[in-house]
Amino acid sequence: MSNPILAAQGLSVESLGGKERFPVLTDLNFTLQPGKILGLVGESGAGKSMIGRTISQYLPNGFAVTQGTLKFDGEDLVTMPAGRRRQLLGREIAFIPQEPLSGLNPVLSVGQQMKEHLLRIGLAPGEHWRERALKEFDAVHLPHGAGLLDKYPHQLSGGMCQRILIAMAFASRPRLLIADEPTTALDVTIQARIVKLIAEMQKRDGTAVIFITHDLRLASQISDEIMVLYAGRPAEIGPAKALFSAPAHPYTRCLQLANPTITGERRGLFILPERMPGLRVLKDLKGCRFASRCPNAVEACTLAEPPFASIGANHIAACIRPEATPDIVPPPAVAAREIEAGKMHLSGEKVTKAYTTNWSPFAKRGTFKAVSNVDFTLGEGEFVGIVGESGSGKSSLARLVVGLDTPTSGKISLAGRDVTANNAPDRAYRRDNIQMVFQDPQSALNPRRRIGSIVTQANEATGLNNSTRERMDRAAELLKEIGLPPDAASRFPSQLSGGQKQRVNIARALCTLPKILVADEIVSGLDVSVQAQLLDLLLKLRDEHGFSMLFISHDLSVVRYLCDRVLVMYRGEVVESGRTETVFAAPQHPYTRSLLAAVPPDDVMTEWSPVLAEAGYQID
Amino acid sequence: MFATIARLMVKRIFTAIPILFVVSALLFCILRILPVDPAAMSLPPNATVQEVEAMRREMGLDRPLYDQYSIWLGKLLHGDIGRSIHFRQDVTSLIGSTLPATIELAVIAMVVATVFGLAGGLLLFYVRGTRAEAVMDFASILLLSLPEFLWSLFLLLIFGVFFEVLPFTGRLSPGFERPVVTGFLLLDSLITGKFSSFFNALEHMILPCLALGIALSPSLMRVLRSSLMDAYQDDYIHQARLRGLSEARILIRHALKNAILPTLSLMGVQFGFLFGGTLLVEIIYSYPGMGNLMVDAIRNADLPIIQGAGLTYCVAVLVISIIVDSLYLILNPKLRAR
Repeated sequence: MSNPILAAQGLSVESLGGKERFPVLTDLNFTLQPGKILGLVGESGAGKSMIGRTISQYLPNGFAVTQGTLKFDGEDLVTMPAGRRRQLLGREIAFIPQEPLSGLNPVLSVGQQMKEHLLRIGLAPGEHWRERALKEFDAVHLPHGAGLLDKYPHQLSGGMCQRILIAMAFASRPRLLIADEPTTALDVTIQARIVKLIAEMQKRDGTAVIFITHDLRLASQISDEIMVLYAGRPAEIGPAKALFSAPAHPYTRCLQLANPTITGERRGLFILPERMPGLRVLKDLKGCRFASRCPNAVEACTLAEPPFASIGANHIAACIRPEATPDIVPPPAVAAREIEAGKMHLSGEKVTKAYTTNWSPFAKRGTFKAVSNVDFTLGEGEFVGIVGESGSGKSSLARLVVGLDTPTSGKISLAGRDVTANNAPDRAYRRDNIQMVFQDPQSALNPRRRIGSIVTQANEATGLNNSTRERMDRAAELLKEIGLPPDAASRFPSQLSGGQKQRVNIARALCTLPKILVADEIVSGLDVSVQAQLLDLLLKLRDEHGFSMLFISHDLSVVRYLCDRVLVMYRGEVVESGRTETVFAAPQHPYTRSLLAAVPPDDVMTEWSPVLAEAGYQID
Repeated sequence: MFATIARLMVKRIFTAIPILFVVSALLFCILRILPVDPAAMSLPPNATVQEVEAMRREMGLDRPLYDQYSIWLGKLLHGDIGRSIHFRQDVTSLIGSTLPATIELAVIAMVVATVFGLAGGLLLFYVRGTRAEAVMDFASILLLSLPEFLWSLFLLLIFGVFFEVLPFTGRLSPGFERPVVTGFLLLDSLITGKFSSFFNALEHMILPCLALGIALSPSLMRVLRSSLMDAYQDDYIHQARLRGLSEARILIRHALKNAILPTLSLMGVQFGFLFGGTLLVEIIYSYPGMGNLMVDAIRNADLPIIQGAGLTYCVAVLVISIIVDSLYLILNPKLRAR
């Protein structure tokens, strides 16, 4: 074996600032060989990104490496002078960020930023930065490179920005690349192409890559080796395929089973209880960090930190009973519902929303159809998924359904009443029957109101049961239903975790027991374990209250798990619809096929061939 | 980019017309409501009632208000704002001789404020998280709470009276030649090659400009500091570090270019205020600008001058806002058309 490009030995990072000292990363040992890809997987807060920050030594305030070494090509990154490290950054060690749109400076053109970087890493003699930039853009398959140099980041899509950042990262032919969730903010189809692109570039230059992701399935497809982190400590390290097909640590197994499948038999989701313990708590924990959530935990687990057990070649797991891990099985699947044709709550006929583009002296006034001739129905107690890429009109359709916008033409009926006109009585009628759950709980919940008042907000509009006493009683019921402790009612949103906030968001929509929920991407951006908890909560609440739901998502496996029927949207039109299982098992439309192909397969042995280049169905 | 700026300017000039119209109507009405009689004021104190009446008729003051306004507006459109009752001179020539002095004062004061504001903002940002931060913060708040006329008095007493190193009255010492080409003294003395006049005039500008500039700079410092702090929270700064750029380059090229935008809007607002705000400073330094003219006009209820000065102020604010918006377009690509 050659010398590793990156080697961590006993690496520990602690937070020293503030009142108490607590560990962030504990006793990390790994090596990365040149040209190999290491996948880092875990829930948010597990310490995945902290590894990237330790490599660059741009740690948050008060954080410091307290033990161990982190050697890049034999040189310790922790102890080397800052000037030497800065020389390596951008040349030998490159980074690809999570948010491509904010990773580029908004007031500098793409060319200016590319030029700055190319001049820093040095050009060949006689080479002009412009030619070089275009050459690098060609390598990442960016179209019409020349005009691109004069563009600003806000004029480009997320996928294009990410390609530019990848071109920049690989321009210096780095020996180590850290990609921190590079596709989380992108559409599925673009995600697939970006991942393939990173792999292609990596192969070209023989770069070693650390690929950070919360998606175990994706990591197992792209990586040679995977390290699963839990609360700042590796739970399992092993060759990607071996680890994914036979996880040895219960946490790896649980993560895998918490994620819904895209092919094969539908199965239930394994619900990891609670959430990862906060790093402050860990300080005083004696036993295994995962013990409190582990289905296989025995008393011995809480007594001492488990040593690494050898599972196979280069495969280790921090568990004292790895042989029991395969016993963890998911609950049975929830059967899809059949709805009788007569019992429709909501229906749309040829619904269209067109916008007129702004007048300008340089372009003709045109119309743009965000939603075009869409027919849909939603039955009592039915969950219907709407899938498609960004810009496909999913959210525009949702806005029409809840009455935030009025259709240009077509007809929307709600429980037998025509509400297309969207006048004041229509809106009052809608308010009693439809509620919306918004995507981002962070911005959807007023930070200055207490949870008890947020979840009963709907009573303000109706004026019914609006006394403080009645509202507090209702809040207590709602919090119980969504699985939050009663004392949450007196807290503010900032005191809750992301998953808890999204529960509050759902509780608020359910307050007046509407017949229909419209949910726009409500589980995207959440950890798989939290996502599984929320999906099950929705199914449980449906059993109790019998509401139906329009569920908008770009995540096809989530839709497959949750929804009875699905609509596939492309450029404002519904290109395919039907029962979820039928559509996903035998997609008829090429666009549906390319969407499905973009999802990494459940079986790690299946070849992932996302670029189904069917003409006319590519965005970006 | 130039097409976009040109389009913005055309649009803004068109919207400026109704604004000017409303301001002129307001000025006219308010000043007519004041309990002063311009006819009586323009006659000697011993004039008879009949003489005053005749004067009123001659001045058109017996006609309905809208008639008076339309006559006034008609003259205004031909560049005639009327004659000063007190100075017995055309208002246009009075403003023409004082406005350049005030513009010179305001522009140089703004340059001083910008230099102090940027330097102070960078310094405040630089010392963040250190012990010096508390001291700097205290100092900037202290500066913020001192008004420009106090600075004028301090500086006058220290440098003018105590050390006697700088002049503190008027624009030019006696015995220096005063060239007139454009009315802007500094510019004219340079054009005509009268360098001794130039340096003398410059010496006269130092104290009033410092007083105004120092008074304006603390708010600029604080805005720049906080927008720099915001910029440093952004991803692209972190990415620039990860590409190995130096901290100095990150600050100047990446952070400052973004942080300057809110600072620029504040400067635009301040510059507008500066035109009215030079008043006290002009009085303290006996500086012959619009401020002093205004004070004389108000003291003598000299309505034509007040109207003229009010309109001039309005035009100045509109021009400044067009300039600031154009600068904004140049510096912020998001505002430009796609």
